[in-house]
Amino acid sequence: MTTMQRIQHDGTGGSHEADESSPFAPQTPQEVEAMLSAIGADSVEELFDVPEAVAFDGEFDIEAKSEFEVVTEIEDLLGRNADRTEFLGRGHYDHYVPSVVDYLSLRSEFLTSYTQYQPETSQGFLQALFEFQSMIVELTGLDVANCSMYDAATALGEAAALAARVRDTSGSRVLVPETIRSERRSVLENYADGAELTVETYPLVDGNTDFDALSDRIGEDVVMVYAESPTARGTIEERLSDVAALADEHEAAFCLGSDPVALALLEEPAAVGADIVIGDASVLGLSASHGMGLGLFAVKEGYLRQVPGRLVGTSETADGRRAYTLTLQTREQHIRKERATSNICTNQAWVALRTAIHVASLGATGLSSLAEECVTRAAETAARLDEIDGVSAPADDRHHFREFVARTERPAAEVASELADRGFLVHEVGEYEIQVCVTETNSGEVDDLVAAVREVLV
Amino acid sequence: MTYETPDELRYTDSHEWIDDRGDARRIGITDFAQDELGDVVFVELPAEGESLESGAACAVVESIKAVSDIYTPVSGTVTATNDAVLDQPELLNTDPYGEGWLFEIDGQVPEDALDADEYREQIE
Amino acid sequence: MNYRQATWGRETEGGEAVNEPLLSEKRTETVTHDDVDLPDELVREELTLPEPAEPEVASHYTRLSQMTYSVEHGPYPLGSCTMKYNPKFIEDVAALEEGAIHPDRPDEYAQGTLAVLHGLQEYLAEIGGMATATLQPPAGAAGEFTGLLVARAYHRSNGEDDERREVIVPASAHGTNFASAAMCGYDVVELPSDEDGRVPVDALEEAVGDSTAALMLTNPNTLGLFERNISEIADIVHDAGGLLYYDGANLNALLGRARPGDMGFDIMHYNVHKTFATPHGGGGPGAGPVGVTEELAEFLPRPRVRERDGRYELYDPERSIGKVHGYQGNWLVLVKAYAYIARLGDSGLEDTSAKAVLNANYLAEQIDYDIPYGPFHHEFAATAGDRDAADVAKRMLDYGVHPPTTKWPEFVPEAMLTEPTESENLDSLDDLAAAFDAAMTDSEEELEAAPSKTTARRIDQADAARNPRLSWRALDEEE
Repeated sequence: MTTMQRIQHDGTGGSHEADESSPFAPQTPQEVEAMLSAIGADSVEELFDVPEAVAFDGEFDIEAKSEFEVVTEIEDLLGRNADRTEFLGRGHYDHYVPSVVDYLSLRSEFLTSYTQYQPETSQGFLQALFEFQSMIVELTGLDVANCSMYDAATALGEAAALAARVRDTSGSRVLVPETIRSERRSVLENYADGAELTVETYPLVDGNTDFDALSDRIGEDVVMVYAESPTARGTIEERLSDVAALADEHEAAFCLGSDPVALALLEEPAAVGADIVIGDASVLGLSASHGMGLGLFAVKEGYLRQVPGRLVGTSETADGRRAYTLTLQTREQHIRKERATSNICTNQAWVALRTAIHVASLGATGLSSLAEECVTRAAETAARLDEIDGVSAPADDRHHFREFVARTERPAAEVASELADRGFLVHEVGEYEIQVCVTETNSGEVDDLVAAVREVLV
Repeated sequence: MTYETPDELRYTDSHEWIDDRGDARRIGITDFAQDELGDVVFVELPAEGESLESGAACAVVESIKAVSDIYTPVSGTVTATNDAVLDQPELLNTDPYGEGWLFEIDGQVPEDALDADEYREQIE
Repeated sequence: MNYRQATWGRETEGGEAVNEPLLSEKRTETVTHDDVDLPDELVREELTLPEPAEPEVASHYTRLSQMTYSVEHGPYPLGSCTMKYNPKFIEDVAALEEGAIHPDRPDEYAQGTLAVLHGLQEYLAEIGGMATATLQPPAGAAGEFTGLLVARAYHRSNGEDDERREVIVPASAHGTNFASAAMCGYDVVELPSDEDGRVPVDALEEAVGDSTAALMLTNPNTLGLFERNISEIADIVHDAGGLLYYDGANLNALLGRARPGDMGFDIMHYNVHKTFATPHGGGGPGAGPVGVTEELAEFLPRPRVRERDGRYELYDPERSIGKVHGYQGNWLVLVKAYAYIARLGDSGLEDTSAKAVLNANYLAEQIDYDIPYGPFHHEFAATAGDRDAADVAKRMLDYGVHPPTTKWPEFVPEAMLTEPTESENLDSLDDLAAAFDAAMTDSEEELEAAPSKTTARRIDQADAARNPRLSWRALDEEE
């Protein structure tokens, strides 16, 4: 958007009377007359069948504004967000999104269409979603991926519900790592509650699953074991196959939480024995967006009929051409109602489109390089911070992806606050622990961050 | 539209048919039922050896647009299942009384099962 | 109108007829990670993904876009979806760099975002006649789930959750209502409608009692009819100790004229991608904020935004149900809704419901179909009579329009649930009416052969479901 467009201009178009009308309703007063005449009504009010007792005669006190006024107002409001460099992660990440993603996804054909209830006229979007599913299948190695859930947390909730449904015998517990974001856990608990499951944690030691403790906690009544790699602390798990085997022994599903960039590099989930993979795929496709996400959800073949959400499959047209269509809809709410696999209807389809365009733009080569950088940058930044007296990084003696925890001699709250004063935002994760996330979008300021930390720890 | 309703079979008002084959009763869905459902895409059968009470939901038939529970009209133990329909669910559409059968069960035909005429009346 | 949707007849290398080959059918690349500083056992063996160059990405997706019908092509009258025009300026607002922040920022560094969120909370509460709202649920169905969690928390706080295990849902309700109730652990009691298509007060009285947690309704209902007895309905439910839940799908009919809070609803969700014009995006993202009465506010998801001396802060309501989204909902959608409401204001919002209802009534007048239930508002259920509604819909595609929702609600035979919205002009409505009528009068052969002018001819749904091929890997394996 260029400054040229910010000319005082109200943009309503000239064909309306006194601007009491919506700028997005095209009917002229003459047309309204003609339509009322055709209907046989004297006024629009006559068409409403709202009893007096519940009619609303008041005002919301929301003043209509011009486009220019609204844009300016919101710019001013958002301008109150402090200008800081974020070294934040822990589940929401900022990678560079190439311009081609915006220009293609914002095409109004994609943006303003809806769920492909008439597939013959929606082949384009259906193919894009099929390709998104396919990319997730390649990244996870699992057989089936749906074309989106809301975010990682709700995808995790749905995974637990699925795990309970597929089990032959009933169970009641879900085990999650103690490093799981508390917000993610809370969402899981709400989904679990409806499925009559309780959520318990198992400890990590030095940023990796404490296998012995997990073995103690698991039992016949566990329907799902969930692990994250990378964990919320940025550590890469080293014994995922063992966790999978342990879950399998107890007839629990093994669900792995990750994201497409990490998946491009780390052990393939299918290879380590994951039954389900969830996570946030919007790490590609969306830059920082205040937590809006894209839930990825992939499962092995045996769980297919229990999968929540929309699935796009292929078929043939009457004239023998390949076509794409929503399929296996009998799992879904509009047919199964209360016996549906989930209530999800509107999902994050347009975000999935953006993610697919982003993955296509990167290719295997670009995506792998990006992933490798996530390892390198985390290691290098940790090493540089470790050189500072009063900082020990990484706190966990493990390999890291994108981010790491650093132990500080001064209380983390003070360190974080003083770094913020100097223009940098980091996480406080413990009394003496901060967490730093580095991607290509903030790597240019790592030098300044290091200098600032040095100042703060003096 | 007239639906095939073989005279020698018995029926339920939830559109299952019962064929008394001597050592077991064979169960399936009627021509009317398959027509209502549309193209069948998936079938779930009870397990052999499973013990069922009459009226229990024991199988599921899915079409593109609907899911139907199948209720066993006969009590007893399931003695056989027609696994062919797992791979070829369309058999329920093309041959609902023949190759599209669902399972066999050892209990007796209930007294209140409808005969062909009574069922035909119902579906009109 | 002589309509033709874009189509490209191509063949894959394997000789399969397609429109646009898959990315995987053009060029893929397999990479291994030899250089990374990680032990081999922590690294995947290899990765294979398509690797098109940017010009190829651009043409691939441009062609896909041209094979996708949208609101900007013409009428898209899906019932209860409110496929209205999506203003462009709201996209620019969502793209503002200043809004691109991380949700874990301490409040003091996120005052702008919190101000917008707070503003939207207030706008929605006003419009719905509720005390306050949460913006966290990322879709309408998620809003239903959230609203029912609030209901459950409320009953728990009164020690009545063990008894109140039932949620009553009209037979005509959207499938998500049933599914959301089940996800909360409730049993669903289905209420048939009366012969006028509305909630039967007598049957409702029978159905409510000590086991009732809530009644879920949309008003106008899915036939477009206003529940005239809503005050009585509210009393019946409240007298039985239950809560009244409003499904906001049809709010477009009432903007500025009636508010769920005034009708006695305790909890409501809004569909901002319907009523508040945020784009549908091919199936999302949307947002499903939930409004509640004062009494229920303490149960809302955490955190919420409040204002204290001109500063905004996040806080956790005392007896919050916890979270329904990993962060604070679909920010990029919420900011668009804020922009739309701010643009329209009172007058624009009221005009919206007026034009929505006018358009629906005019369209109904123009088409030659029976509409068994009325008086309707912003949507109506026509019946295709002795023709198959699905076939009629497929034939309508050939006339360059998107057909209405078919076969729902179930108790209208061959239903065609139609909601034109306020955005369609007279020409467009006339085109749509012409398509309705032409499809109805075309021959059986023409209907069975439809669609023939869209990118794809009729697709074999049975084969898609019997033999699911859900990825390009599955297609490769089939070969």
